[in-house]
Amino acid sequence: MNTDILVQGILKGDYRAIARSISIIENSGYEARKDIISRIYPYGKAKIVGITGPPGVGKSTAIGTLAPLLATHGRVAVLAIDPASPFSGGAILGNRIRMQAALSKKGIYMRSTSNRLYNGGLSEYTWDIVKVLEAAGNDFIILETVGSGQADVDIMNIADITCVFLAPGLGDEIQAIKSGIMEIGDIFVINKIDREGSYLAIKDIRESLNMSNKLETPVIGVNSLTGENYDEVVKSILEIRPKNPREKYYKKLKMVVMEAIYNEYSDYVDRIEFEDNPLNEDPYTMAEQILVRDNKNFGEVKDR
Amino acid sequence: MDNFWDMKAKEIMQSFSEDKNYEEWKKNVLNPWNNKTGYKDKRRENSSSMPVKELYTSGDLPKNDQTGIGNPGEYPFTRGIYPNMYRGRNWTMRMFSGFGTPDDTNRRLKYLIENGETGLSIAFDMPTLYGYDCDSKRAEGEVGKCGVNVSSLHDMERIFDGIDLSKVSTSMTINAPAAILTAMYFVLAEEKGTPLEKISGTVQADILKEYIAQKEWMYPPEAHLRLIRDMLVYSTEHVPKWNYISVSGYHIREAGSSAVQELAFTLADGFYYIEMGINAGLNVDDFAPRTSFFFNSSINFFEEIAKFRAARRIWATVLKEKYHAKDPKSMALKFHTQTSGYTLTWQQPLNNIVRTTIEAMAAVLGGTQSLHTNSYDEAWALPTDDAVKVALRTQQIIAEETGITDVIDPLGGSYYLERLTCEMEVEAYKYFSEIEKMGGILSAVKSGYLQKEIADTSYKKQIRIEKGDDVIVGVNKYVDKDEKPINTLKISDVAEKGQIRSLEYIRKKRDESRVSRSLEKLHKAMEDDSVNLMPYIMECVRNYCTLEEISNVGREIFGEWKEPKIY
Amino acid sequence: MNGKSQKYTEAPVKVLLAKPAIDGHDRGIFVLAKAFRDAGMDVIYAGLLPTPEEVVDTAINEDVDVIALSLLNGAHMTAFRNVMEILRKRGVNDIAVVGGGIIPDEDKPALEKMGITGNFGPGTPLSVIIDHIKFRAREVRKLRENEY
Repeated sequence: MNTDILVQGILKGDYRAIARSISIIENSGYEARKDIISRIYPYGKAKIVGITGPPGVGKSTAIGTLAPLLATHGRVAVLAIDPASPFSGGAILGNRIRMQAALSKKGIYMRSTSNRLYNGGLSEYTWDIVKVLEAAGNDFIILETVGSGQADVDIMNIADITCVFLAPGLGDEIQAIKSGIMEIGDIFVINKIDREGSYLAIKDIRESLNMSNKLETPVIGVNSLTGENYDEVVKSILEIRPKNPREKYYKKLKMVVMEAIYNEYSDYVDRIEFEDNPLNEDPYTMAEQILVRDNKNFGEVKDR
Repeated sequence: MDNFWDMKAKEIMQSFSEDKNYEEWKKNVLNPWNNKTGYKDKRRENSSSMPVKELYTSGDLPKNDQTGIGNPGEYPFTRGIYPNMYRGRNWTMRMFSGFGTPDDTNRRLKYLIENGETGLSIAFDMPTLYGYDCDSKRAEGEVGKCGVNVSSLHDMERIFDGIDLSKVSTSMTINAPAAILTAMYFVLAEEKGTPLEKISGTVQADILKEYIAQKEWMYPPEAHLRLIRDMLVYSTEHVPKWNYISVSGYHIREAGSSAVQELAFTLADGFYYIEMGINAGLNVDDFAPRTSFFFNSSINFFEEIAKFRAARRIWATVLKEKYHAKDPKSMALKFHTQTSGYTLTWQQPLNNIVRTTIEAMAAVLGGTQSLHTNSYDEAWALPTDDAVKVALRTQQIIAEETGITDVIDPLGGSYYLERLTCEMEVEAYKYFSEIEKMGGILSAVKSGYLQKEIADTSYKKQIRIEKGDDVIVGVNKYVDKDEKPINTLKISDVAEKGQIRSLEYIRKKRDESRVSRSLEKLHKAMEDDSVNLMPYIMECVRNYCTLEEISNVGREIFGEWKEPKIY
Repeated sequence: MNGKSQKYTEAPVKVLLAKPAIDGHDRGIFVLAKAFRDAGMDVIYAGLLPTPEEVVDTAINEDVDVIALSLLNGAHMTAFRNVMEILRKRGVNDIAVVGGGIIPDEDKPALEKMGITGNFGPGTPLSVIIDHIKFRAREVRKLRENEY
């Protein structure tokens, strides 16, 4: 009943309902999450724009410039992910500061979230949150990753278009970062082109793309403070068709299904009293026995 | 590859030698003693996380100590910038004041002049500091709260009513709208018939430390830096006794930095302004002598004194060797000091008198040119007249009762102090090198690097206090169960209403066509980076354009600025 | 992080730190941000000079449990009240508001009456502030469990 109210709110694009649903998805466990997602699943279709790149390249400022421009082509929402502290699990979510003013002028919904120590640059529930934002009627969802450089590869599983942000003056770091993210970028943006070395950075990226046979990938130099060349970024985002969208979509779905199954079973495995079953079998055999015993269908799927 | 800074750091470190005397004493005398008495010593460090030994000996002095320490009034000015220091003249007792309406502040200034104060120092309220008028929506509830409100030239006229500008030196603590307030002061002098060559004073105008620490700005850094350049050039040409900038470490320290960070970040800012003057085509010796500094004096006594001495030596060395100054006045770092506001406690406020006294002594022993002592009630509110008087008397007691001022640099030659001075110098040079590697101070500021360094130090300090590792008397030790409230200065909302009425009156009285014409001219001038804006701002001020109207011209052209994310 | 049985009331507290006026004294707010993070909370810092409207917008968009307001410039009575009024106008009654800064004793009853609790002065131990925020967050989450 209460979920009904929330879901109605989401579909109407009500910020309080959207915000609360996201909290429930993050905090209230599997059943509550399923309850929301299963009802909103059929609704909405957004272009998901991933923004990734190492720390200090100005991703947040860039979103502050990009989001209002995209907003002239449709409704925009922003989701930004920050890393949690490995010691306490808490997080400082600081991405708002630099985009706040620009976003609130246009009434763009923005949410910050902790990765809760989930690896890969996103959080465990990013897919679910994106679903909520899609159902809320957004045409574009901008997703900012944690920004740990080459580790942020999960974005390619969720985003339709991935923009990799880089800046001149990153020095040797850029070589290390490049090896991880050249493959995932659909657009490369060199921020802070007013700085020394920006020409070389652009050239460097072009050469690397050339080597990986991605010659037609746009490489755009921008200045987020003045907005210089952002029209080109917007144009690229609008024009680029996601590659193999169907394949990507099913991959995405499979990923979530797998996590759901994992969740289901991890709970179940937790409850098994291992003391009753002497551990005389190897763990693989034990796992198969559990699966066969408790879920015959699973065994059939596995055999195919 | 070593840069200039790395080489300086190395030079100093190479002048250190092994201290055999100390090692032997430790082995043969101290350790057996501690073992016998069962005393377990713990590692100690100062605010800059530098280890502090239990004893310093002659072996701690640098090998080339004569060139490094030198004499008062001589390069590198470690022992003070004047040959006679306080034997010649005491430091200027400059009490920072300003609250409520301009008339309230005018009364406070006159009270201080009657009580022997020798330099005026004006504090402005938050709306003024951010370039908003008293009737702006953003100013609601803040007018006159933390200082005096100035919305137009009319308010400046009231603050200085009955005060002869040729007889006082005025320091104005204003940064983002510094050019506008400076223009108001210059126009006020014109009105009073005092020639610009005769007025003297200082405007803080150190915008870099705003981004680093105090966080009061209107535009992106480059725009403010251009305004500072214009003030620098204008006053070099027309107002010879005007110190166009007071490079400030005070706020960096208050924001949570260590002494070394205060030293390094402030001097790094200073070097930037020197380069700015040189890039504007000025000869370094024509403007460097009017660069002054503003430091914090906190509670770790020797660390503070060493900081002041290290600051002088670094400035002299760098001005001479890197910027090729010829005039010793360019190399002599003169500074104002304020005792630490952060060390004042809300609990047991009378203890603050003692803290302020110790901090003031450190400033005097460090060779300050002027001093503000905080009042004991300032953790509660702006100070009452009585509390301000105690603070001023504190300085007078140090100057006239203690004998501290009889000898120049009386602590010079102290093994501990000289060693600490050298070590702080090394740490500062390391920071300069780090900053240079980040592409200079402007990049370091824009990326948030310095801000993060400060916040990290400040958090570490707070955790030490929480754990009881650092003692604060009355706060985490010797705590009183019942704190009785003290009398504090109340600033009613009457100030806000009065200011708004006064501004309404000015808006009605002024000639609107002249207002819009002068603002338009300023707008045009701002678009061309090569134009000096000072005459245009002064024209706006003369026509009673308000602070916010003038500031808004810049907001339109330069845009606003948001701080970088530091976590 | 799995478990069907996870309870909303036990998830990390989400808190918004804000100085809702023109006040650049941010030493304390950074200390609090790090202390809250180290106490396991998700912390959003509103940045400098947010208007009361921006503070409330952020609180709603981020669905925080607690808004922690701080001012050291003497404008708390005006600025804190503005935040409370905007929350009321938007019909938000399930976000707790706590205060801190240089707040004279005589202002505290009025702030409490507006619904702003804590009102911590200088020298308050971090642990006291953290406990209070967690306490208010628990209250709010119980309220929310009944709502949705």
